[in-house]
Amino acid sequence: MNLNQLSRSTVVPFPAKILKLESGLTLIHQQVPATGVAAVDVWVKAGAIVEPDQWSGMAHFLEHMIFKGTDRLPPGSFDEVIENRGGMTNAATSHDYAHFFMTTASQYLGDTLPYLGELLLNAAIPDDEFDRERDVVLEEIRQTYDSPDCIAFEALAESVYQRHPYGRPILGTEEILMQRSPDEMRRFHRAHYQPHNMAVVIVGDVAQDDAIKWVERSFPAFPSPLTCPHSEPEAEPPIVGIRRQELRLPRLEQARLMMAWMAPGVDDDPLQNAYGLDLISVLLAESQSARLVQELREDRQLVQAVGSSFSMQRESSLFTITAWLEPENLERVEALICDRLSALMTTPVSAIELARSKRLLRNDYAFSTETPGQLAGLYGYYHTVAGAELSVTYPQRIQAFSPEDLQNLASQYLSPYHYAAIVIKPL
Amino acid sequence: MTSSVIPQSRQTHRTVLKNGIVVLVVENPSADIIAARLFIRAGSRWELSHQAGLSHLVSAVMPKGTERLSSLDIAERVESVGASLGTDSASDYFLLSLKTVSADFPEILALAVEVLRSPTFPEEEVELERRLTLQAIRSQQEQPFTIALDQLRSAMYGQHPYAFSGLGTAETVAQLSRQDLQHYHQTYFRPDNLVISVAGRVAPEEAVAQIEAVLGDWQVPSDPLPILDLSPIQSDPHTVIKTQDTQQSIVMLGYLAPSVNANALDLSDYTALKLLNTYLGNGLSSRLFVELREKRGLAYEVSAFYPTRLDASQFVVYMGTAPENTAIALDGLQTEVDRLRSTRLTPEELQSSQNKMLGQYALGKQTNSQLAQIFGWYETIGLGVEFDTRFQQEVAAVTSEAAQEAANRCFVEPYISVLGPAAAIDLLGKQE
Repeated sequence: MNLNQLSRSTVVPFPAKILKLESGLTLIHQQVPATGVAAVDVWVKAGAIVEPDQWSGMAHFLEHMIFKGTDRLPPGSFDEVIENRGGMTNAATSHDYAHFFMTTASQYLGDTLPYLGELLLNAAIPDDEFDRERDVVLEEIRQTYDSPDCIAFEALAESVYQRHPYGRPILGTEEILMQRSPDEMRRFHRAHYQPHNMAVVIVGDVAQDDAIKWVERSFPAFPSPLTCPHSEPEAEPPIVGIRRQELRLPRLEQARLMMAWMAPGVDDDPLQNAYGLDLISVLLAESQSARLVQELREDRQLVQAVGSSFSMQRESSLFTITAWLEPENLERVEALICDRLSALMTTPVSAIELARSKRLLRNDYAFSTETPGQLAGLYGYYHTVAGAELSVTYPQRIQAFSPEDLQNLASQYLSPYHYAAIVIKPL
Repeated sequence: MTSSVIPQSRQTHRTVLKNGIVVLVVENPSADIIAARLFIRAGSRWELSHQAGLSHLVSAVMPKGTERLSSLDIAERVESVGASLGTDSASDYFLLSLKTVSADFPEILALAVEVLRSPTFPEEEVELERRLTLQAIRSQQEQPFTIALDQLRSAMYGQHPYAFSGLGTAETVAQLSRQDLQHYHQTYFRPDNLVISVAGRVAPEEAVAQIEAVLGDWQVPSDPLPILDLSPIQSDPHTVIKTQDTQQSIVMLGYLAPSVNANALDLSDYTALKLLNTYLGNGLSSRLFVELREKRGLAYEVSAFYPTRLDASQFVVYMGTAPENTAIALDGLQTEVDRLRSTRLTPEELQSSQNKMLGQYALGKQTNSQLAQIFGWYETIGLGVEFDTRFQQEVAAVTSEAAQEAANRCFVEPYISVLGPAAAIDLLGKQE
């Protein structure tokens, strides 16, 4: 079956409006009456992949510095304004994006959004705050190095992406951060925090006219862009053979096996492969009845836990399988996982198992779109990596997969002969 | 400024079935979802110290077999309709939670009830989950924060069940038997010890009828529920230290703090300390965040927590910091807590903490799972669903004077827990 055809012929109405404002800024808005809440999520296509190698960590560090105020707003004043009104705010940075979100009672939208707009447009990045906040980021880095799972994942990404910036840690390193200056960050900010690169998502008890009015007032004039060094992401060549790396860590109570496969990004084949791999991930290890959970945890009792995950990214997605286990079971478990991947290619998934996996994903979608904040995050994320209106087609497109589709996807992307693996053992 | 205007008008319908089961229903038509929480008045607080971890093991094995269904049957029935069914043991309660699209609710409720009423605790599943639990106990030793909190809890609670992590210890878990699990189940899983809280797209009378249909025939046993006889918690503030070659040191101060329970007519210290906890540790504008992270760059994570508990709770402030800053961090946390004893909150600080607390309380009741959880929990620990309103009124009524008095009663001398590299710990000793 041709799934692209199906998705085109069956229209799923997108419940939000996507508007292009005069400034070039995108506004995505959906009114959800009776919630009493306004959720705002501002997405900027300025994640870690736009950094040149020597600026690694800049996007994330900037996300911290945004909250340090502007010429008109002292550090912390936005936090006070929103939290004094009973709202909450935070931010996060990934390879593909940085985003800044807040939720408040809808009547306070007009009191709070102008502050967020001012911060994002006119971040001052004061010199003394830069030095102090760098210490905070260094603490954040130290915290991740006390976590074996974080260390393992970082090593895995680095092994999969030997050229593409997806292989670099989002937080950067102490060595590189110490070499960066506030002025470089200001250039990075002025280059990337521009209207064509940003979307403001507003979901909740807010009428469209009000949403437009407050976004126009809060994001009035963007400062003129500055240039800064760009990364030139190289296409990552496919993994040939098995890249296995072993790390030994102190204070480790159990071993880890992390395996990864590269999958296409969302640019050329919008989401089709991604959704299929999502299904395979659920079927393999994302539920209690999943294949690897039943076999490795319940029946053979070789692992403490096993999980899989499909992480959709713009330029190249990542499929991972992770097992927590005793060191003596490492080889056997890796061999069994490879064998089960081979079976996916040769034997069609049964109708019952496929239906169950689809149902889990469709319900998961329903369960994770209950609140305005969840919806705003979903639309912003899709806008950033693929297109906001595609988000709502998810349940229907998941439903359309056939056993053959999954067989083909497994053959194409989940080879038991070509993958990266990180093994962590106790010292 | 008024605090929150997020609608709070959702009505909770409370029904008591003939066999004593309390049913709470919040009708919320906004999404095609129903969430339910089945609370049993049990949990790790009901464990004998030589059986620490029993509730957790019960929760792990419970969904792994009934008289009719195997572990895999249960998982497949739940997952074939994309639902979730989980069991969990907390300090003050034991929980079965489920979530479905509305049409599947009766079917999954019936399955949950089967798991609740007639688990068989198959011997091989007990062995499997015991082994996995022992491994999980070892794995906790990989997490510096967990170790630091464990030793703090152990120092503060002595022989009281709150001293233990929910998983229990390697020694106690190794000794638990299938009979222990069955006995625990027979003792506490009975209709007069059960609260069911439902939220979602369902009419209250319909939900009650569905529950009645699968649980109405459950008889109350003739013997009364055992009375819990817990050893008293003795206050004995001291310092506990763990040397470990970590990237960060973890520093914690803990104070024994007021409980809530049905007999406590006066919750003023509880409410005032909840407010101070918000003031100190909640959000980017909180005192600890601003003073120790924003102004001094000492930490990425710095915060406070004060859980609501049936017995003496703990008020904890903590942070992770570079090893060379260990002593500074300890001093910084201590200074901020002591300041609450000597200095009253300004009217602005008080108002802002109240607004923050009430606003975030309202934001914490958005999903059906959150609604089912909060009302069911209040009912289970004896505060009743009306505590939802009372709590908000009392928070709004806290004065700066009352907060300072509560601080003076609670923050006398801290238990201190420190984890970090030897060099940092040595330095600490020299300064003290």
